[in-house]
Amino acid sequence: MMGITVRGLVKTYGATTVIDTISFDVADGEFVTLLGPSGCGKTTTLRCIAGLDTPNGGLIAINGRVVSDAREGVFVAPHKRDLGMVFQSYAIWPHLTVAQNVAFPLTVKGERNTGSAVGWALDIVGMTHLAERRPSELSGGQQQRVALARAIAARPQVLLFDEPLSNLDARLRDRTRLEISRIQRELKVPALYVTHDQTEALSMSDRVIVMEAGRVVQQGTPRELYHRPVNRFVADFIGSANFLEVRRAERQWHLADGTPIQVDPLSDAGGTEPRVALLRPEAIRLDAGSVVEQNSTLNRLTGSVLGAMYLGPHIEYVVAAGGAHIRAFSRLELPPGSPVTLTFAADDCRLVDDTAASPKRNPASDYPRQSPILENIP
Amino acid sequence: MRQLNFRRTGSGLASLASPARLLRAVARLPSAVALPRGEGFGVLGVIYAAVFTVVALLASIPVVALVLGSLRDSAPGLPGHWTWANWANLASPGVVETLLTTLEVAGLTTAFAMVIGTALALIIHRTDFRWSAAMTAMLGLSFYFPSFILAMAWIVIGSPGGLINDVLRDGMGIESVSVDIYGVTGIVFVMVLHQVPFAYLTMRGPIMGMDPSYEEAARTAGASPLTMLRRVTLPMLSYALASSALLSLVMALEQFGIPVLIGVPGRVTVLATQIYLLCRFPPTAYGLAAAIGLTLAAITAAAILLQRRLARGGRAVVTTGKAGRITPIPLGAWRWPANLFCGVYIAMGLVLPSLILLYTSLIKFFTANPFDAAFTWRNYVYVWNSEATQQAILNTMLVSGGGALIGVLLGAACSYFTVRLQPTGYRVLDMLVMLPFGVPGVVLGLGLLWAYAYLPVPLYGTLTLIVLAYVTRFLPYATETAGARFVQLDRSLEEAAWTAGASRQSGVWRIVLPLSLPSLQSGYFLLFMAFFREISATILIFTASTSVLSVSIWAFFEQANWGLASALSILAMILMLAVMSLLLWAMPGARQR
Repeated sequence: MMGITVRGLVKTYGATTVIDTISFDVADGEFVTLLGPSGCGKTTTLRCIAGLDTPNGGLIAINGRVVSDAREGVFVAPHKRDLGMVFQSYAIWPHLTVAQNVAFPLTVKGERNTGSAVGWALDIVGMTHLAERRPSELSGGQQQRVALARAIAARPQVLLFDEPLSNLDARLRDRTRLEISRIQRELKVPALYVTHDQTEALSMSDRVIVMEAGRVVQQGTPRELYHRPVNRFVADFIGSANFLEVRRAERQWHLADGTPIQVDPLSDAGGTEPRVALLRPEAIRLDAGSVVEQNSTLNRLTGSVLGAMYLGPHIEYVVAAGGAHIRAFSRLELPPGSPVTLTFAADDCRLVDDTAASPKRNPASDYPRQSPILENIP
Repeated sequence: MRQLNFRRTGSGLASLASPARLLRAVARLPSAVALPRGEGFGVLGVIYAAVFTVVALLASIPVVALVLGSLRDSAPGLPGHWTWANWANLASPGVVETLLTTLEVAGLTTAFAMVIGTALALIIHRTDFRWSAAMTAMLGLSFYFPSFILAMAWIVIGSPGGLINDVLRDGMGIESVSVDIYGVTGIVFVMVLHQVPFAYLTMRGPIMGMDPSYEEAARTAGASPLTMLRRVTLPMLSYALASSALLSLVMALEQFGIPVLIGVPGRVTVLATQIYLLCRFPPTAYGLAAAIGLTLAAITAAAILLQRRLARGGRAVVTTGKAGRITPIPLGAWRWPANLFCGVYIAMGLVLPSLILLYTSLIKFFTANPFDAAFTWRNYVYVWNSEATQQAILNTMLVSGGGALIGVLLGAACSYFTVRLQPTGYRVLDMLVMLPFGVPGVVLGLGLLWAYAYLPVPLYGTLTLIVLAYVTRFLPYATETAGARFVQLDRSLEEAAWTAGASRQSGVWRIVLPLSLPSLQSGYFLLFMAFFREISATILIFTASTSVLSVSIWAFFEQANWGLASALSILAMILMLAVMSLLLWAMPGARQR
């Protein structure tokens, strides 16, 4: 099978379990993102696939070849896995020029004529004119492109990205995001991308795998994750969200103050215990005043403005309604205390499992330091 | 995770006493480097086993030999019996008195050197002092000024027949006041002069690396510059001060050249010189010397362990790594006292001793009045034409040039394993490297003397033995310089090479080595200079054919031949400066430190 296969992967550091039995696939040519908060094990997963960390359990195969199998004692060294990897720090070697950096994956395999491959890779990232520069003469964005060119120069079977955009400023990040997508589609190789940034995950990926505390919480297309998150953690991590506490009385769900509310019937499994309903702020229409018009398919709540934040494209309001504080977007200018009506479709109000993010753990990955006794002797 | 047996014993030394166990452990080392069930790391595994074995032998042979030697009632190589008498003799009044003198000398030296060194660092790097660059360069030079040459110069100046008394008696006719350097005060005085540059250099880093915002916060909170210094700067430097003082103390405890030159005529004995005297002058007592050596090594080792603990705790407190522009404290009315303070130190620690040696080397008979002196080149001519001297110069260059290369390569390999790969047993390796650092040079020499009297290896009387002694003694210099660089090098630089298709060996060769070259160069420089001026580790193991410059100078001086000793000192220092400039020119990396 082409692509990356991960089965039952386990990684522990001492007593800490960083990856707890996860499995997923990346199909050939597919762009998959591992998304999660820091310390969730996404980078460790990527490093296990690269062979930079050794798994304690499970199996990893790249394009049908098992590169790591804890039970069988198989472990293929990183340099024999035919990878292209972009590091968070870029890891551009400062003692080599741009061209020498990009040529490294070829020269290290003993290839002499690297000119055309280096030219091709630099051309793809638009860095041909800087080929003879030293890394210290490049900006962060340019170094990032060199890292990208180096990763693809030897036409690897797999591309791995470890938060490659986290050190760039916002504008450059947007541009590079598009570029990485384009290059990966051109090369048609499986790509695994690690990030904690939901925008990157949603905009670039064919599929997103959300991780939390060393486990896979949900995987699916960006749309599936956004619209049908399996629990409160995923809903909260991807996009902004209101969580409304609802309880059932006589076949009807009610908000905290007793207001009846309709929810997406597909999300309603029919239990009777109190639940949490997800309502995205952008799914809410906010009108000034108390509109009385009734409509059976829409929910309507009246309330008053508690506070407002000006964000540019719209204003984010916090509204006291239905016994809860609900965030909603609008372009209306309303002073605090104004009466408002919130309107939203039943389909936009989904019951989700009330699993919040578990407390953060820090995997013990700190590098030990030596005490330089003589650090100041000339 | 597989572990070596002896990791669990907690002490590598204890287990090293069992050769069978050590052999078994070493045999398993190559597989320790490989990632579990990995492939293709064989070469590094073999290198690891080799480095581990070499370092284990270097560190353990002298120590084990000392332990065994301290239990013998005869000289090395002679028939004798096992005995506890040497250890019992540690309690004799002579040894106890020497121990007390040692602690007194080392304690006083450390206290004065720390105060002066810290003051210099503060003046140079924290105030608007005008001669910062010049002072830094001069202090760097005096750091490399060999201790025994400094002692010689001050003996010429301050001994009963020396310069000061000559001036007092003949120049001014004063008989009632006289100076005698041969005493505890004289030893401490010269040792302070010698150790101030070390105190300065160890305090300079923390002072310059301090985050300026702490001080700025104090200033904005209304503190005057002096209040800030007293209530913020110095308290924040307390870890660095303590750690630097402990290292100073270790150096003072193991100092040999100064106490042997000044102390022996003045009948002041410290532990390091007592070991030498017990081995060189009849009735010899090599066993007692070994017991004293182990005691001294235990004291310095304790100080080093404490220092390492402090350094680890202190790093987080002060250095945030972002050294910014610090607003200099205006000296104001203190400008001239500060200038005077710096000038007096440089005069006494560097300029005056050099001039005195130059003067002494150029006159026939010693007199304080240059107008009475008969100037001559004969000392230089004699030294230059002496075959023994030529041999010593050649030996010194061979030992320093070649030995430093061996040392820096071995040290870099050790650090790569202890800092980067961290295979099974790396903590033991780290400890083995540091072990000889606590062993004073003369004790190390004695250990080797004991060892090679029994070991079936014909090393005694060879330059190789001297190189072994130097490499053992100064290996931590190399591991620390290389290790500091390896720690700084972002791991991803090496990992990027692996994922780009480079094996570990090729990653080391193509990425790690080129990027660490400056540190390796500066390590080489450091080792070269240390080897060049070392005397304490050599004094017990040199023979006529393996004499080095330091020993030759010292031998001339011991024969009371001030002229020849001075001439050779001047030649040695010119040679040292020439090599220094050559190394700095050829290896730009060595300049960084």
